[in-house]
Amino acid sequence: MYRFWQIFKMDLMNNFKNPILINYNTVFAIAMILIMGYLSSGNYTNEIDSYNYYAVAFLVFGMLEGAMTATNCFMERDIKKPNLRILYSPCGKFPVYFSKIAASFVFDYVLHAALCLVFVLMGINLGGWNVGWILLMMIPVEFASAALGVFFCCIFHCEETASSILSLFISIFAFLGGAFFSLDGMGAALAFASRFSPVKWLIDAFFAVIYDGNLTVVAPVILVAAGFGVLLTLGCAKTFRTEDYL
Amino acid sequence: MEKLLEINGLAKSFQNNCVLDHISFYVGKGEILCLLGPNGAGKSTTINILLGLLRRDDGTILYNGKKIDRSLRAYKQKLGVVPQDLALYEELSAEQNARFFTSLYGLRGERLDEAVEEALTFAGLADRRNDKVKTFSGGMKRRLNIACAIAHHPELVVMDEPTVGIDPQSRNHILTSIKKLQQNGMTVLYTTHYMEEVEEISSRIIIIDHGKIIAEGTKEKLKEDIQSEKRYHIDLEEGSYVPAEVFYVVEGVKEVKSQNGHIDIVSVRGVENLDRIISLISDSGAHIRNISSEEASLETVFLKLTGRKLRD
Repeated sequence: MYRFWQIFKMDLMNNFKNPILINYNTVFAIAMILIMGYLSSGNYTNEIDSYNYYAVAFLVFGMLEGAMTATNCFMERDIKKPNLRILYSPCGKFPVYFSKIAASFVFDYVLHAALCLVFVLMGINLGGWNVGWILLMMIPVEFASAALGVFFCCIFHCEETASSILSLFISIFAFLGGAFFSLDGMGAALAFASRFSPVKWLIDAFFAVIYDGNLTVVAPVILVAAGFGVLLTLGCAKTFRTEDYL
Repeated sequence: MEKLLEINGLAKSFQNNCVLDHISFYVGKGEILCLLGPNGAGKSTTINILLGLLRRDDGTILYNGKKIDRSLRAYKQKLGVVPQDLALYEELSAEQNARFFTSLYGLRGERLDEAVEEALTFAGLADRRNDKVKTFSGGMKRRLNIACAIAHHPELVVMDEPTVGIDPQSRNHILTSIKKLQQNGMTVLYTTHYMEEVEEISSRIIIIDHGKIIAEGTKEKLKEDIQSEKRYHIDLEEGSYVPAEVFYVVEGVKEVKSQNGHIDIVSVRGVENLDRIISLISDSGAHIRNISSEEASLETVFLKLTGRKLRD
């Protein structure tokens, strides 16, 4: 446990020392909300609604993009070499991939929770005191995203390939889920396709908590996301081989 | 010599391409064993298998007489690894790097403080401990790369080309350090392409090529094994000339080239004929300006065994 803790601390510190990761998860998200909110403000009944919509949409999009933090943490070229030294040590394989999942999860969660605070300060509606439920639902989603990133690295053995494929899938899901613009009224085909996007489900669940105070969605989100997180972590355990790291 | 690490019948193939063909060797306690070979010979594969990173197809590896697979963690605890690529966090200080990598071997508290202090002093980096690695020169990074590998006092240090791309001063420091490690009781397995390094530090050498061990022994033995002939280089005073044919009467002379006052003679090793060659030159009325004989270098041995053909 001591060794895992040392590796986890190092991975977390490396994430927080990476300005690109920090800016992507904070400044970029806020900029996108402001730009998209402004551009689409005419489509909503009043101006604040578009900002409210994109705050939640980009929060969900950012959580899924957390997978990219994990691929970076696990196999980014400059980090991979010192990581190899961990494999030389008597730590075993588990701390190598699981610490990346844990560190990416904590990193993304802290930044996105901070983002929620900024949203509240900006006057964006996160459901008042129900923001606590939003923060709770974010935990397993962030964990599953981090596990997904590391799992893709285990499968493809290369950060660039894993990131490219993940980015493509997440963008498609985000598009179908209406993260960039609402697909309502764009035909039955797109409406049907959007059902397959986890972004859509998460946005709907978040809106249900924020606007309807409907807490029945909390448990399913937590259970399904946690289930995916556990399955993906088991997948990492099954597929991670030290020789792929060479 | 007591065997610390013993490798028997090690074999590895990648997609039907045999990279290691059942090689066997040992690393003796307290020695510096140099593993030499051209690119693609199988050195890195051997090292990666020994480090437990790569699976082998066949063979056994014993450490202190016990199979390493039975307790890979206990085996790894005894190892220190200096990889060819710099394995350091550039954004962190030298001390943070050394502290982190040493902690992976279970050291903590005062023991960790002392180990880090000792390793940084050993690498000549104690006064730069708080500087970020990205501000270091190539030589300093190489030294820190070694410090991170030895801080936990391993029994066996595996060094994979640890002096690539550094200045002569840093190389000298590293080679001196390696000899110090040996004096302190550590065993070193060292791979390199630099023959002068092997000449300087090796207790024993293994030359590997096409996945097989093609030579093994001390540097003196390897040179002796390969040297069936010796060469004389003779420079004459300006204007002097002695025809090559003159020397073929001397016992042992196999080949002579005489051109522009310079004579190269290849002679059978073990036949003492230098006196006779000199007197023939004097009898021809020529004057010798300089004379030297060439001993086989380790590079000659290496090229003779592995060939001169370029490797990918």
